[in-house]
Amino acid sequence: MPLTITDLSKTYPNGVRALKNVSLTIGNNMFGLLGPNGAGKSSLMRTVATLQDPDSGAITLDGLNVLTQKNEVRKLLGYLPQEFGVYPKLSAVDMLNHLAVLKGVTAAGERKEMVEALLQQTNLWEVRKKALSTYSGGMKQRFGIAQALLANPRLIIVDEPTAGLDPAERNRFLNLLASIGREVTVILSTHIVDDVRELCSRMAIIASGEVLLEGVPSETLAALEGQIWSRIVDTDDEFRALESELHVISTHLTAGQHEIRVFAPRSPGAGFRPVPSELEDVYFLHLSRHAKN
Amino acid sequence: MAMFWEFFTFEIRFRIKSVSTYVYFLVWFAFSFLSVASESFGPVGNSNGKVLLNGPYANSYNDLGSCLFGVIIIAAIFGTSILRDFQRDTYQILFTKPVSKFAYLGGRWAGSFVTTVFAFSGMLFGTFLGTFAPWADHARIGANHPSWYIQPFLSIIVVQIFFMGSLFFTVAGLTRKIFVVYLQGVALFMLYIIGLTVFSATRSLEHFWSGILDPVGLLLFNDITRYWTVIEMNTHLLPWDFSGNSPGIFLYNRLLWTAVGLLSLGGLWTFFPMSIEALTARSQGKRAAKARLQDAEEERPIRSLVAGRLPRVRQIFGPGTSLAQYLSLTRLRIHTITHEIPFWAIVGLLIVFAANNGHFAGHAGGADVWPVTYLMLQAVEGSATLFFFIVATLYAAELIWRERDNHFDGIHDALPMSETTDWISKFTAIVLVEAVLLAVTMLVGIVMQTIAGYYRYELLQYLKELYIVTLPQIVAFTFFALFIQTMVSNKFVGHGIVIGVFVLQPILFSFGWENTLYLPGATPPYTYSDMNGYGHFVPALFWSIAYWVSIFAFLGLVSIAYTRRGSDDSLGARTRLAWRRAPRLVPAATLLLLSAAGSGFWYFYNAHILNEYLTARDRRRIRAGYERDFKQYELLPQPKVTAVDAAVNIYPERRSFDGTGRFTLQNKSAAPITQVHVTDEQQSVSNVQFDRRFHLVSRAPRDLYSIYALDRPLDPGEVLTLTFSVGHTTRGFRDGNEPAEFAYNGTFFDAGYFPQIGYDQGFEIDDPRRRREEKLGPLEEMAPRGEPAHSRINLFSPNSDWITWHTVVSTSGEQVAIAPGYLQRAWQQDGRRFYEYSMGATHIANFYSYLSARYTTRKEAYSGPYGPVNLEVYYDPAHIYDIEDMLASSRAGLDYFQAHYSPFQFTQYRIMEFPRYRSFAQSFPNTVPYSEGIGFIGRMLHNDDVDLTYFVTAHELGHQWWGHQLIGAQVQGSNMMSETLAQYSAYMVMQQKYGKDYMRTLLS
Repeated sequence: MPLTITDLSKTYPNGVRALKNVSLTIGNNMFGLLGPNGAGKSSLMRTVATLQDPDSGAITLDGLNVLTQKNEVRKLLGYLPQEFGVYPKLSAVDMLNHLAVLKGVTAAGERKEMVEALLQQTNLWEVRKKALSTYSGGMKQRFGIAQALLANPRLIIVDEPTAGLDPAERNRFLNLLASIGREVTVILSTHIVDDVRELCSRMAIIASGEVLLEGVPSETLAALEGQIWSRIVDTDDEFRALESELHVISTHLTAGQHEIRVFAPRSPGAGFRPVPSELEDVYFLHLSRHAKN
Repeated sequence: MAMFWEFFTFEIRFRIKSVSTYVYFLVWFAFSFLSVASESFGPVGNSNGKVLLNGPYANSYNDLGSCLFGVIIIAAIFGTSILRDFQRDTYQILFTKPVSKFAYLGGRWAGSFVTTVFAFSGMLFGTFLGTFAPWADHARIGANHPSWYIQPFLSIIVVQIFFMGSLFFTVAGLTRKIFVVYLQGVALFMLYIIGLTVFSATRSLEHFWSGILDPVGLLLFNDITRYWTVIEMNTHLLPWDFSGNSPGIFLYNRLLWTAVGLLSLGGLWTFFPMSIEALTARSQGKRAAKARLQDAEEERPIRSLVAGRLPRVRQIFGPGTSLAQYLSLTRLRIHTITHEIPFWAIVGLLIVFAANNGHFAGHAGGADVWPVTYLMLQAVEGSATLFFFIVATLYAAELIWRERDNHFDGIHDALPMSETTDWISKFTAIVLVEAVLLAVTMLVGIVMQTIAGYYRYELLQYLKELYIVTLPQIVAFTFFALFIQTMVSNKFVGHGIVIGVFVLQPILFSFGWENTLYLPGATPPYTYSDMNGYGHFVPALFWSIAYWVSIFAFLGLVSIAYTRRGSDDSLGARTRLAWRRAPRLVPAATLLLLSAAGSGFWYFYNAHILNEYLTARDRRRIRAGYERDFKQYELLPQPKVTAVDAAVNIYPERRSFDGTGRFTLQNKSAAPITQVHVTDEQQSVSNVQFDRRFHLVSRAPRDLYSIYALDRPLDPGEVLTLTFSVGHTTRGFRDGNEPAEFAYNGTFFDAGYFPQIGYDQGFEIDDPRRRREEKLGPLEEMAPRGEPAHSRINLFSPNSDWITWHTVVSTSGEQVAIAPGYLQRAWQQDGRRFYEYSMGATHIANFYSYLSARYTTRKEAYSGPYGPVNLEVYYDPAHIYDIEDMLASSRAGLDYFQAHYSPFQFTQYRIMEFPRYRSFAQSFPNTVPYSEGIGFIGRMLHNDDVDLTYFVTAHELGHQWWGHQLIGAQVQGSNMMSETLAQYSAYMVMQQKYGKDYMRTLLS
């Protein structure tokens, strides 16, 4: 179910340019959308999820015009917004049943089976009869995932799905998504690079509404091979000095000391050692390049 | 102290920033402003036309009113101030700091107090500015005295805020439950209202303790001012000292309730714990449940990380699924409405109010009546209607905004369903809830009828009134509220507009905007009558409802088109979206617009083309013009009517009549009469002829006043015959103002439809406000006793003295037609019934009426010292309750009056029922039309009940002497000889039956 996004632009009434000529082609696979907060990920996903009209551009999904044939798209769609609330005093099982009906799953037996399977998968079975308003943040997020997967959607849009999940639940969710993702189109936005690394066969990095990079994670990694250098820095002064001379793309704390990673075609100097490139390097490199421009 | 200041200023700053503070202020400002600026707004303005609108009485009364309705505002401000920390979980931060109890409680309390006083100061500013409104009635606005404002404000409002506020503050502080805070104001308000009705039902004569113990002050106010004259009302404040009626009770009352306020603060000071542990000791339901759930979550065993496969489901889209979606959504929305406490609070209030009013459906003004269904409906529905509209307003907003308020819109808006399905489910949920509330109302009515021992439940009338008349109006209002909430960008702005339109209507109406076709949602007034059902009100009601439902349903369609979907909800974006959605809605929209245009046109055709459309102001202008143009002829000598002979045909099914008549006129003055003047207020007279040559001199518009000149003057003592046609034809329906005289069952009209010789002083406007409005000057007072010209004029029928009377009246085949006189002959012809009545040689006052209805008759012969009298009661078959009472009263009256006054001049006394469109009984010669609104359903439940039927019957019988035997001239004191003596007669008859003690209660 290929999704083609062409020249999408959107400026909000307050003047923020959320999307600038975004073009992407997303095939039948898991597509990761990486970017910092406010990069336009959510705007893009809302637009694909039929919730917002762009100022210009086009989106087609397997021959459907997403911008005009909204209801057709909605029939195929499973959407988990970045933030959502719930109706108070309604249980998860009631709400999922209700949403399944709205998604056209009218056969009672199938609906029951699906709702129960999802409650099991998202580990909400035990609390399925409890009011949603009593759920903790993680439980609520899992409910959000469950509702997005009702009715075997062929286009799944999940906006920051792993936010608020504990590590075990995050793994379980990624496994679930991976098992589905082989057959359908999944767009996953995140600012956690590992989500993309673990899951996505293609990815894009966007910032300030622009696509900085689109490609296969492994290929983008290969392009940086041998050009990432790492070094432990002792003092802040030294750190500042290096920052002004070199293209520092990230810094990590390791046992209280800064480990900086630098992008350079060849060794930037003493103390640096070559390290294997990581997806995070790709991400930070593009962000920092973009910030400089 | 510094800490107290900190809390105090924090509270003030918080209130300065919140909109509600200004809304409260504006409410009181608007109320008090309109109370002065519009003479027909507010309780004082509407009552006695001489009480100053900014005088001490008016200000005190309005301040009391604001205290009563302000209970809810006081509760909202004081209650939330202490609860805020517990609602927002800031108490954990707050109470781990070294905060003193005085600073915390004192600061919060003082801040709330100042805020509330500010809000209520709207009363001062509103009244003051109202006195400068150029359009106001300045004859009722006095020079502004500061004390008229300050004393009531301080002694009524500020004391009330102190007492109520402290009480609510204490309750909120000790319970710390939001539910209690919001409910306590409403509960107190309700309890007070119920207490008032119960107290007034006891008809207690107690005016001391009732005043002191009254926590709001309406009884107190009444106790102090009950005997005040207008002058006192315009100069006296409620006295702080020991003067006036019930001396000292104002002071005692204020001291008592101030003390209660202080005591409650003391209680709070003693019992409010200043530690987190104590404050949260009682498990706070929701929070505890959440914590338990999360604990359980953490203890769960480790699960497999391998994802299972999800089953395959089929998605089916089509009409069947749309229906399933609609049902599921409707169920969900009803679930969310019925699972909230406020809804049940509303239902509870509705039941309590309806039951309370229902209890009094059969008790009015000390008299007991059978709670027949129209009375019960009036009682339970009247109190419930406000709740129906509150529910529609509230839940239209809640349902339109729910997904956004809950942040569920991201998921909801991307679901594969049409906006129409979603919208209709919201609409359905509200309408279903309303239908259930209506059923609850009906149930309360039936239960209250049963409790009162009345078992003739007219279910059909309940259903018609609630589901055919009321429900469509609620539906229309729901459409409107949904539309407004869809279009506005903020729920509260929406509420403001919806409530504004609702409140504006009666205001616009009183300013002369009376046209049903442009008052949103308006329907013309109607009255159910047991005799006539909904009768002739049906078409106007039906078409106005059809008109407004169509218009509002169209707005509903617009709001479907404008439904918010997705994150882009600027009006521009939504307009574009609306145009895209519009094509699907066009057929329905066309249908609704056609229906609106069709019903609107039909209504207009009936109310404005078939009938002349006149507003209340127009009608007053006609009367004012009549007075201005023709009062000059008031004392012009005119011939007097000495005999009336008329043939009248009543067509009840067409609400019409026609007929011809002949007046014998005689010149009883000393000079020849050259002109005969005829007043025709109802445009019912035509074809006026005299038995000598004459010509028309002038005729006022609407035939109101015609002057005929006789070619040969009528000499003193000479007799002239006047013949004429009369008639009234009902065409279609009117926009309200249907003449009450004509009904399918229960026609009753009088000599007002016949020509009246000369100027009719009774047609003048008597309300001083209305006279000022028409620039007429004060109403001319009655002439002093002995004034020669007026001493020669009959008080009731100035154009005649005694007359002889003969008439033939016909009506439809199933009705009985009645006019004064002894029945000479009754026959049928062409399916119609004819009756000939005559007084023979007995002279009567020129005062007669015609009635026709489907009557059951009860006849009885009374034999007294001066010969037999036929007693007859003509009544609706359902109204069997009072017949004995009426007959007994007639017998007792005849006994007493003949023994003490003089013999009865007739040999019959007849009472006939007419529909309750008018509520009076009236004494025509031996003939008393008696409204079903004040008799026929009376009952005696308690020994001290007022036996109203017995009383009214005796009063009207008394008029057969006072008014029909003895008639005064048109001079001061004459009314005493009719009304006062008839009343005295009735009291005497009552006393014969019930004794002296009973009379004491009756007269108090």
